[in-house]
Amino acid sequence: MSNMELSGIDRSVIGADRARSSQNGGGPPTKNNLGTRGLQLLSWLAPVVLVIVWEWLAQAGWLSPQVLPAPSKVIRTAFKLATTGTLLNDLGVSLLRAAAGFVIGTAIGGGLGILVGFSRIAEALIDRSVQMIRAIPFLAALPLVIVWLGVGETQKIFLVALGVTFPIYINTVLGIRQVDPKLLELGRVQGLSSLQLIRRIILPGALPSILTGVRYALATAWLALVVAETIGAQSGIGFLAMDAREFLRTDVIVLTIVIYALIGVAADGIARFLERRLLAWHPNYGAAR
Amino acid sequence: MNAHVAPLSPASFETGPAVVVSNLVRSYGSRVVIEKLNLRIERGEFVALLGESGCGKTTLLRALAGLDSIQGGRIVAPRRPAVVFQEHRLLPWDSLWRNVSLGLQVPDARERAAEALTEVGLGDRLDDWPRNLSGGQAQRVALARALVQQPELLLLDEPFAALDALTRIRMHELVRELVANHQPGVLLVTHDVDEAIALADRILVMRNGAIAYEHRAARSGSTPISRSELLAELGVNSHSTH
Repeated sequence: MSNMELSGIDRSVIGADRARSSQNGGGPPTKNNLGTRGLQLLSWLAPVVLVIVWEWLAQAGWLSPQVLPAPSKVIRTAFKLATTGTLLNDLGVSLLRAAAGFVIGTAIGGGLGILVGFSRIAEALIDRSVQMIRAIPFLAALPLVIVWLGVGETQKIFLVALGVTFPIYINTVLGIRQVDPKLLELGRVQGLSSLQLIRRIILPGALPSILTGVRYALATAWLALVVAETIGAQSGIGFLAMDAREFLRTDVIVLTIVIYALIGVAADGIARFLERRLLAWHPNYGAAR
Repeated sequence: MNAHVAPLSPASFETGPAVVVSNLVRSYGSRVVIEKLNLRIERGEFVALLGESGCGKTTLLRALAGLDSIQGGRIVAPRRPAVVFQEHRLLPWDSLWRNVSLGLQVPDARERAAEALTEVGLGDRLDDWPRNLSGGQAQRVALARALVQQPELLLLDEPFAALDALTRIRMHELVRELVANHQPGVLLVTHDVDEAIALADRILVMRNGAIAYEHRAARSGSTPISRSELLAELGVNSHSTH
């Protein structure tokens, strides 16, 4: 039963992702290429206007800098912090935490996923427990995690890893289970060994789903990091934000929010790049050859 | 027949049968699908197997392919047979040459795949993706993938059923040519009486899990095979339908 729920949820995730990819040029080029480019430019109009209006309101004094500083002020703060302050160092610390948690979570989620994907016995042993832990919003476990691990690096990396494990796990299992049985049969007819079957058919077949999991996990990793760094950090982007709050430095706070957003966008870009490279064969992802 | 050839030598199969089936029994639970079936296919011989849906012909092919277990009897074949299915079953993530060489354990796999693809008229598409192929082209790649294994026995499970009429005729010519060149024994499972007549040396009609009718194709002046006779065997009264 848990399996059915699981596949229901994740199909919709995959579906949404594919639709998004093809919208962003993954699909076949349409007739009116200029038209789509025009539309893309047009889609930037609203955000740009918004920033201009924001800047203008701040310059005119309608917006208190205490509430929301002008975009130009935020950019100046960024420069100042980058050259004289600890911005780059904090950024590095945050990225390192995210990376460490991501690698650990991917290893655990992927490992368990492969095990459960291949073996019904492993599924019986593992899947229910994983699904039960997954049912807990991982941020709800935060107080407990702090009691266990304090507010040091371990707690932060643990929280990121926890958030990453489940999307990777679910999509790995799903990907392996979704491999076309007709292709597996073909592999047997062609005389492939079990290992060759895994390498040539099962893993490539599961890859689109696994990469969807990676993309989802990147988003969760980021969310986990923001929360972890907001509590008792001594360095990192989150620390910068909490420190700035003490001194009502809204420009620094806005800057940290923007940095979180930019890194999120960059992570998504990396995931999409991986999809385009690794799934070049796939009609929904790959660049047309 | 093979008494003058040393047993166990690979050469003993050069002229021997591609497959010998004796007293084959295949059942699903208590339902018997194939009942004590005997069949022998020589190398270079093209056998077509006709029959209504559910008569057991695909079951027989799957048993010969080693895809299903059997509940009785023996299947003796010198080597693993190659299979072409109704769907092309190309791996979408592999280039054409990688698809053709799937399972080929030789160092010059790419060259072998290139030869096979050239034989089916796709020698210039080695690095292309399966998704860029038409249905007929994909099925030609599937044929190349089967033949590159140099099978003694080639099993064709309605491989042309999903193709349009013109493509199907071209495929018939290609298959005839390939079989003539490679000389495997062939078992073609099909619904199409005309396809069977066009390609086969021997036509079998299967009914209720057994071979109910057998016809050897015309050779040097003997009576040509009768379409209406075959249709009658399949339970179609051709006079009322034409």
